[in-house]
Amino acid sequence: MKILIIIIQVAVLTAIAPLISGIIRKIKNNIRMRRGTSVFQPYYNLAKLFAKNEVVSENASWIFRVTPFVVIASAIFALSLVPLVNAGNNVNYAGDILLIMFTLMLGRFFLALSGLDTGSAFGGMGSSREMFISSLVEPAMMISIFVVAANASSTNQYLIAARGHVSFSAIVAGIALLMVTIAETSRIPVDNQETHLELTMIHEAMVLEYSGRSLALIELASHIKQIVFFTILANVIFPIGAGLAVYVVKILMISAMIGVIEISIAKMRLFRAVDFLTFSLVLSMAALVISAAGL
Amino acid sequence: MGYFINNTAFLSFDPLSVFFLAVIGLVSFPSAIYSIGYLKDHYSPQKIALGWALFIAFVLSMALVVTVKNAFLFLIAWELMSLVSYFLVVFDTEHEKSIKAGAIYIVMTHIGTAFIIAAILIMFKYAHSFDFPALKEACLAMPPGIKNLIFILFLIGFGTKAGIVPLHIWLPYAHPQAPSHISSLMSGVMIKTAIYGIIRFVIMILGVGSLWWGSAILVIASISCLVGVIYALMEHDIKRLLAYHSVENIGIILLGVGASMVFMKLNMPIPAVFAMIAGLYHLINHALFKGLLFLGAGSVYKATGKRNMEKMGGLIKAMPWTAATFLVGAMAISALPPLNGFVSEWLTLQAFFMGLAGGTIGVKIFMGALAGVLALTGGLAAACFVKAFGITFLAMPRSKNAAEAKESPFSMKFAMVFLAALTIIFGLAAAPIIKILTGVSGSALAIDTANINFTLNNFIITPQGAGNIYLSPLIAGMALIFIGAATAATLYFALGKSKVVINKTWDCGYYKLNSRNEYTATAFSKPFRIAFDFFLLPYRKTEKIWDSFYHTKSFTYEVYTTPVFKQYIYEPALRAILKIANKMKKIQSGSMHLYIFYIFITILTLIIFMDRF
Amino acid sequence: MQLLLTGVLFMAFVMVISKRVSALIHGFRAQSFFLFLTALYIAMLNNNAEIYIVAGLLFAIKVVAIPYILSRIVRRIKVEEGAGLFINPTLSVFIAVLLTYLSYLFTGRVMPDAGRSQSAAVIISLSVTLIGLFLMMSRMKAVSQIIGLLVMENGLFLIAMASAGGMPFFVEIAVFFDIFVCVVILGMFVYRINKLFTHINVSKLQELKG
Repeated sequence: MKILIIIIQVAVLTAIAPLISGIIRKIKNNIRMRRGTSVFQPYYNLAKLFAKNEVVSENASWIFRVTPFVVIASAIFALSLVPLVNAGNNVNYAGDILLIMFTLMLGRFFLALSGLDTGSAFGGMGSSREMFISSLVEPAMMISIFVVAANASSTNQYLIAARGHVSFSAIVAGIALLMVTIAETSRIPVDNQETHLELTMIHEAMVLEYSGRSLALIELASHIKQIVFFTILANVIFPIGAGLAVYVVKILMISAMIGVIEISIAKMRLFRAVDFLTFSLVLSMAALVISAAGL
Repeated sequence: MGYFINNTAFLSFDPLSVFFLAVIGLVSFPSAIYSIGYLKDHYSPQKIALGWALFIAFVLSMALVVTVKNAFLFLIAWELMSLVSYFLVVFDTEHEKSIKAGAIYIVMTHIGTAFIIAAILIMFKYAHSFDFPALKEACLAMPPGIKNLIFILFLIGFGTKAGIVPLHIWLPYAHPQAPSHISSLMSGVMIKTAIYGIIRFVIMILGVGSLWWGSAILVIASISCLVGVIYALMEHDIKRLLAYHSVENIGIILLGVGASMVFMKLNMPIPAVFAMIAGLYHLINHALFKGLLFLGAGSVYKATGKRNMEKMGGLIKAMPWTAATFLVGAMAISALPPLNGFVSEWLTLQAFFMGLAGGTIGVKIFMGALAGVLALTGGLAAACFVKAFGITFLAMPRSKNAAEAKESPFSMKFAMVFLAALTIIFGLAAAPIIKILTGVSGSALAIDTANINFTLNNFIITPQGAGNIYLSPLIAGMALIFIGAATAATLYFALGKSKVVINKTWDCGYYKLNSRNEYTATAFSKPFRIAFDFFLLPYRKTEKIWDSFYHTKSFTYEVYTTPVFKQYIYEPALRAILKIANKMKKIQSGSMHLYIFYIFITILTLIIFMDRF
Repeated sequence: MQLLLTGVLFMAFVMVISKRVSALIHGFRAQSFFLFLTALYIAMLNNNAEIYIVAGLLFAIKVVAIPYILSRIVRRIKVEEGAGLFINPTLSVFIAVLLTYLSYLFTGRVMPDAGRSQSAAVIISLSVTLIGLFLMMSRMKAVSQIIGLLVMENGLFLIAMASAGGMPFFVEIAVFFDIFVCVVILGMFVYRINKLFTHINVSKLQELKG
């Protein structure tokens, strides 16, 4: 039964993960008074990539070939651990919320390695920046999660999701985690998914050498990672209400928020992004103090 | 003689000693096998024989350190270990660097030993015996001020050997300079004997005196974590990079030990046991993966003759075994699931979480902040090992030596594969190991652990009792492999075999992409250098040679970071000492009579004032 | 017993005054002879075979062998006769007396309730040791340093003999062997110094400092 729930959850969320990206893009375009592409565009992109041949650099080693599978495996595994609508229904089978964070790190580690693997300067630059941003994100993410976990006295994501109330500290931690989410999903102001300009790209530079099926897997993994973070925000940080409908509403709200943030802020240069992340760290520390005070 | 050595057996084999013996055994066995291949062709037969003799003496002295139960013998074993390791550091006597590293090492280690001797002598003054049980008894009746003093002396003394910041200064010099199998023993095991010392003397014999002891260790440990990993990021000598990571990991181990001391004092026995388990688990894990990484670095060094990462690259094709095992080590030290480094960092975080869930307000904030520090350390370590592995093993070779590298002989491969396998096993089989460690840490903290159980069955770790928080590295690992394999299989059956075209790396139409266009280690670490410039104080030297107004013939760019501790702590101290020594030199007149006169005066003074002593 | 001990002390004083190296050697021989007599006396008192052997060794090494070797070295390297004093003989004797007084005070403090003869033995042996050190300090020639060392050893031997009836037998034998080897080595050393610097004036070693 447990396994069935998990499989359904993974299948459904994997299926709708690209849709979320499409919706965010649509929201951004609508605010900019453009018609924009269909919300299903990410699916078309994936289908196109899956059908294409791959070009692999002659310098690349087996790391480059294995990476897409490691990345997708870590993303799907993380997805199988997040609590979906069945809050309170503990179907945890392998680990707690910390494991989700560490698992995402696994995928990123391999992506960064394959960025270096082809010997292209772009790839190296991308992996350097990606590791830089992600390592600075870690403390804020860890402390925010610790805060909400402390409110539930457990790091089991299902128990955190089942705590039923949102304290003041959880709200502050949630804002910090939203900033972390922006950085982790390569969005403005930290990174920009839509550009291939050498000076600014981080994530895109790292996966520049990938093509065809491998690139499709990596992109799918990015969509999944995004929905993992959104779900953590929606169900773990703000566990208000239950049921699929509430979940969908919450995810849409988060998407809208991200979209609005993306079009209202300019992308920061790399070392300004540090300030952005420092701010999220400060917020999470504030949440920690508030939570220690019992609010 | 009765003061020094009791007539009864002088070795103890309590759980803590046995645990450390196991750590020594697990790392020295592969190191010994590795050295067969490593020493061959590198040294003359006489030197190899000497190397073996020293190796055996080193292992035995470490074994003695962790088993004796008499403080006097402990000091002898400790000194023996320091001396033998000194000879191993200067094993490559033809390198001037080795001599220098050895000098720094022996000075620092003796300063540390001096502090340990002072602490033990103070304890002796109360106990009138060097035996551990007698010392322990005497410590119960000791005034708190003296206890604090002894604690500080021990912390400095053992901290020097462990390499905590700012006493780490010798570590990045000494560890890389020894032959690689010795580096792996030094980093993997020797610095752990200092942790043994802290647990044995401070926790078991002295007893945790007040809350600030644990807090002090936690603060020092978190500073060590961050400083170690940041310096490691800046380092491009692969063995020195690993040595700096030892500073970082000693910090992580001490986070567990320190948290345990805090919980002891807060009267929270179960979290105390758990935090100690986390520390000990990370200790053995670090021994395994750091041993592995040093062996891998040695293999690379033997193949290329270089330690500078900027001269390597592409080794994964020439040395597949070394690369694969090094990757396992790198993943473990970066705390990636489901390997062992992840498990112990997870345990440490859970220990902090116990403090966060159950402590006072101050403790809650402190523990939360420490979790942040640990997370940052983990992130930076991952970045550092992306650099270390990526620049060393991936892309195109950056020098002729790297292009001509050959895989190492069987004995070296065997040792690396052995340690890599242990690294994986210690990750997957976490639950049974935690069961064993529960007993060890219970005996170290004098807590009965018969009813404490942190595991559900043999797969699942549950720090807070059944079903609450849990982690199963085994299930996680199997799930990851299953999902990856399932994805590959689905793709294969749904879309057929992937059609792959091998071509050049995309080069913007340049068509002459070579290793000089690759991203370097210096470039990789640049963002970190800028972000942490308040601490690293980087500066650069550039030199341009123009051959006409428009065209530069050559351009050199060198970037340095300021060694803060060396420049602002050690060098002023050294200058002061030299200044005093210069003044003191006047008493050394060269006249033998004067020297005898000094002795004479000393004896007379002692006779006259003997009452006073 | 008292008489013999006084003889040991007296010979120490004689050595302090003596200016020539050969006189020093003779003084040492005489002192060792008195020491031998003391050991013999104690051996007779206790009727202890081990102390007899020790006394015999003492005679063979300290009365016969060492003075012989030393005077041979002195003759061989043709050292000029003056021993080269830093402090003039009168003052030296004064200092030696002061040292004896100091050891008297010291002994009174360490063992306040010892018997007269025992404390006398300790006082004398202690002062002989100190005088030996003083000899080493106040003379220029390398040979006198050797003799000073030997005098110190005599004093230590006496302490052991007087207070505890001698050290354990093997230790005693080992010490004798040590002393003997030490003299041989130092003799070689002095000979080398002489060859190198054409004199054995240790004050010339000052240039060796760092």
